[in-house]
Amino acid sequence: MMIALPIAILWFGAVIMSMLDGTRKHNGWLAVGILAGALAATGVLAADVLRHGVQEMRLGDWGPGISIALRVDALGILFALLSLTVLLIALLYEVIDDVGARIFPALVLFMALGLTGLFFTGDAFNFYVFFEISMIAAYVMASYGETPRQFRAAFIFIVVNLLGSVLFLIGIAAVYHTTGWLDMVRIQERMPLVAENPAILTATIMFVAFGIKLGLFPFHFWLPAVYTGTRPAVAAILSGALANIGSYGLLRFGADLFPRELSQGSEVLLFLASASVIYGAIQAIGRSAPNEVLAYSSIGQVGYILIALGIGGQAGYTAAIVYAVLNALNKTLLFLSVSMRGWVVGAAFAVGAFSVAGVPPIAGFLGKLGLFQVAVDTHRPWLVVLIFIGGGLSLYYMFELYRRRFWIPGEDEDTAGAVRVLVAVLAICIVLIGLWPEPLLRLSQQAAAVLPERVP
Amino acid sequence: MTIIFALGVAALFGAGCYLLLKRDLIRLIVGVVLIGNAANLFIMSSALQRGPAAVLPVSGSFADPIVQSMTLTAIVISFAVSALMLALTYRVYGAHASVDIEQLVLAEEEELERDEAESSAEEEAAQGGQPVSERLLPHERESSLHLATMPGMMERLDR
Repeated sequence: MMIALPIAILWFGAVIMSMLDGTRKHNGWLAVGILAGALAATGVLAADVLRHGVQEMRLGDWGPGISIALRVDALGILFALLSLTVLLIALLYEVIDDVGARIFPALVLFMALGLTGLFFTGDAFNFYVFFEISMIAAYVMASYGETPRQFRAAFIFIVVNLLGSVLFLIGIAAVYHTTGWLDMVRIQERMPLVAENPAILTATIMFVAFGIKLGLFPFHFWLPAVYTGTRPAVAAILSGALANIGSYGLLRFGADLFPRELSQGSEVLLFLASASVIYGAIQAIGRSAPNEVLAYSSIGQVGYILIALGIGGQAGYTAAIVYAVLNALNKTLLFLSVSMRGWVVGAAFAVGAFSVAGVPPIAGFLGKLGLFQVAVDTHRPWLVVLIFIGGGLSLYYMFELYRRRFWIPGEDEDTAGAVRVLVAVLAICIVLIGLWPEPLLRLSQQAAAVLPERVP
Repeated sequence: MTIIFALGVAALFGAGCYLLLKRDLIRLIVGVVLIGNAANLFIMSSALQRGPAAVLPVSGSFADPIVQSMTLTAIVISFAVSALMLALTYRVYGAHASVDIEQLVLAEEEELERDEAESSAEEEAAQGGQPVSERLLPHERESSLHLATMPGMMERLDR
């Protein structure tokens, strides 16, 4: 029962909110309350999952193999907590700063519903359905602000991501055809029996589908177009919450369901990841609009997640999860703070910038440290060099952005003081995670332990 | 049977991709819908054989119901998304009075040029220490941008 509770809260909440006028303050706070309730329910569930292991709920209580399962493990719950937190921060920011469209709070709740559902589901097709729920919310959100540029950006976003969804659907049909199951545990059992060629083909289709969502190097073209000129809260949601679909999908489908194909393709992944890191950093240096710099920066940052995934093994998966969590928090902080002025916000932005570059006392260093460790352990010195170069480049473009945004005097856009406090609290949390990393590391190790071990 | 379905999927996907490369946004949407339907046909063709019934023990052989329910769900989703895309195209048309991609690209380039001119002017002003009042306020900038990019909209309002 407990598993369905966050989904139920969000589901009913989203439907009710879509009938209310979200631009009114009290309706906005109602949406914040619903989201906070769902986050609390997820927290209770998380305590249960971390103490007692995987929780499962069979819908309709049919026998095993017939009914559709909701299955929550440490990996899913970690990503659900992360996404709901990011969505809550972005929604709070927007509600304090006045919501511009009446549908916006409902959209945030629908996206939270889709994300929670897809992190909780144990069924490959239901994964697709929840994934589409959150994507449709994102499509509408991309045009939030309603300027001509945002309409064009939303159009690009829809067309490209729809192609990604169609590819994913084809991948699921292929998995069903080759294994005869949609239940993820059964697919995992059957996958080793599938012949090599169809398995590789299916895994490639899945990789491309999630690569599009994540904005990896060869599939990134939609990303700068959408992030440039969008509202800060929407950019934060897209890069902090929606991109989690990509990292979770790669971990779940890559490491969990296709471990053999992942290790076969690991060199390709490492190559694409390195290209992504370098390309993102170089493009970010050449740009001047703040959101554009951050958009290219996130193309570079997801490259690191893919590096960890490509190396594989428990240590690699742990590094990938830590990096995904920190990257989501960093990007949320950066996108929210770059639109404001003032010394509090400037300091918060600096924290985010140092976190992206991986400067020691701040949380981002943990992600880089994990990557260093796996790169050294698996004797790949060139990866260490690459991570150093990537970190140096990101420090450079982040500092450039900081200089342009916070050193040059300009008119102070009037933002509410509470918004600054929100950003400052988020920055302090990131510093605290850096100073006291054990909880996050332990959580990530537990989440990585869900995935099957393989020789790196 | 499988080869016929494979050819069908290929034809739909190919036609969809061809339309995706067109200049007209409406054709582009039709292309996306065709590709979505290629995926639906692919799901159907992933279980073409018949077998014993899954749940109730009845005699005779049946087609797999799971693929059919999957296809139905996928059809509903792609229907919703294509409605959303058409609505968005209407808003794009409202903003630019055109659904031709080249027109949109032109508008995009104009906007970028204006933005760059603005930001460099801003930087110069900031470094040269000119008074703030000489520069455009954000809302003024935005409104001039709207007027410039929405000739069709203005004409319609005049009528």
